[in-house]
Amino acid sequence: LCRLVLVRGSRYNPSFIEPEVNRELYQKPWEELSEEEKQKMELKAVQPIKAAPPSLSSSVFRDPMISKFTNMMMKEGNKVLARSLMSQTLEAIKRKQLEKYHKAAEGEKDTIECNPYVIFHQALKNCQPIIGLSSITKGGKTYQVPVPLKDNRKRFLAMKWLISECRENKHRRVLMPEKLSQELLQAFNNEGPIIKKKHMLHKMAEANRAYAHFRWW
Amino acid sequence: TLRLICTTAAVQRRNVGASGPEKYTEEFIKKQIEEFNLGKRHLANMMGEDPESFTQEDIDRAIAYLFPSGLFDKRARPMMKHPTEIFPEQRKIQWGEDGRPFHFLFYTGKQSYYSLMHETYGKVLSVQKYQDELTAQDLLPEKEKRNLAGSRWLTKIELEEMLLEKLSDDDYSRFIQLLEKLATLPCGDIEEKYVQKFSREVPVQLQKVVIEPLKYDERGVAFSTGEGRRKTASATAVVYDNGTGKVTVNGIDVLHYFPVLQDREQLLFPFQFLNRVGKHDMVCTVSGGGRSAQAGAIRLASAKALRSFVTEKEVEFMRQAGLLTVDPRVKERKKPGQEGARRKFTWKKR
Repeated sequence: LCRLVLVRGSRYNPSFIEPEVNRELYQKPWEELSEEEKQKMELKAVQPIKAAPPSLSSSVFRDPMISKFTNMMMKEGNKVLARSLMSQTLEAIKRKQLEKYHKAAEGEKDTIECNPYVIFHQALKNCQPIIGLSSITKGGKTYQVPVPLKDNRKRFLAMKWLISECRENKHRRVLMPEKLSQELLQAFNNEGPIIKKKHMLHKMAEANRAYAHFRWW
Repeated sequence: TLRLICTTAAVQRRNVGASGPEKYTEEFIKKQIEEFNLGKRHLANMMGEDPESFTQEDIDRAIAYLFPSGLFDKRARPMMKHPTEIFPEQRKIQWGEDGRPFHFLFYTGKQSYYSLMHETYGKVLSVQKYQDELTAQDLLPEKEKRNLAGSRWLTKIELEEMLLEKLSDDDYSRFIQLLEKLATLPCGDIEEKYVQKFSREVPVQLQKVVIEPLKYDERGVAFSTGEGRRKTASATAVVYDNGTGKVTVNGIDVLHYFPVLQDREQLLFPFQFLNRVGKHDMVCTVSGGGRSAQAGAIRLASAKALRSFVTEKEVEFMRQAGLLTVDPRVKERKKPGQEGARRKFTWKKR
């Protein structure tokens, strides 16, 4: 094994392509593929492909959003702890929802959502801001200019707010999974501190509407 | 634009052809060639073989026999090769005795590059003129789609070697854009030969690896072996057919050896991808590395072993899912003057 590491860059040659793990794409028979997909497959047959990282797998239980969130929660590379916290959070959500389900009346049982993954995705979607502020310096003064955000940035902001909210504004004795599940359920119902933060950001953007023309991209 | 971030040996080799006028005169090279041929005949005589049919491989073997060397680097050992391979190709002096340059684009600095661009653009214009004539007569033929998968353009290094001149990334990308334009024009087939000079064949299938046939052990059960490495961990896996999905690592059950869910997921990944979760048994040995590296090494070993059980198409799918590539990422070395591989020491103002 060559241990001579090349400095400044990835270890792969730039011609390597990201791997595609989704099994459904590979199970379609050849005739059903459209023209574009056939061309893509042919191109891919000639190009070398990177190895799949350990967080990627084709199992049914893997969710890219949950993996990203787990990585953001991870401290100092302790993936084991982060993953256990995540599973405990999902379990806590499920327990709370089941409690509500059993206590509810017959008519309301349909409206209560028990699947923790659905709750997680919906809560994240509710937390995502639509518009963000960016500081632009013009004529010596720095203005906060409202700017449309990309999808990646929205998801990142939502996850970051969730995690920082849970780490700072909690009682010393309350554990992370409990607090996280509380926040997620509140976000799912469009209430709670993170939704407030999102609305504050929107209001600030609306207030600074006058500077919108400073944006050049 | 593609910027080559990771450097290879080819990039680090200096483009000797581009550096200034010749250091070796033509007569010198001719003398070297004569001496080489004479020496070849003498060598054949010494070894007792026929001087007429003495090939380069015979020369290499003779030199290795007469001058044995224990040096590791092949380039440091004594070698006898044709002078054109040893003395790199150089540009002849570009100006005559009166100091007047031969080529009209000499004063641009990159004469061969600009003359090439000039020629290519001339071809583009002529193709467009031909196209206009055809549209005037309404005889425009339908363009068949060029097969993109089988060929690639010349890399920047190859182009530099061809022109014997240093190029910048910008120049190279402009040239490639021109070539693409020429190739995609409807009547571009006329200039097919010219374009082919600048394209190389890519081996159509990247599956150059030979798939081994299945082996059968004493009980008649089919099995196959695979080896995998990841970050100082190396593993060998033996995958048996007609099994229940039991996995043994170093004599220990997988649940005891890998308590973490992520590692077991990685072990199951190849089987789950091919829908063969409960059908195979696996016995592996692994050493070195850490928890995650060992899991990755076993994953690679089992994927390689599964290749013999599966059709070629599925092998290609496994390759596209990233299961069959060796992960080249290793721990980056610590550099002097820094605290770690990338982290610098804390900056203190005074």
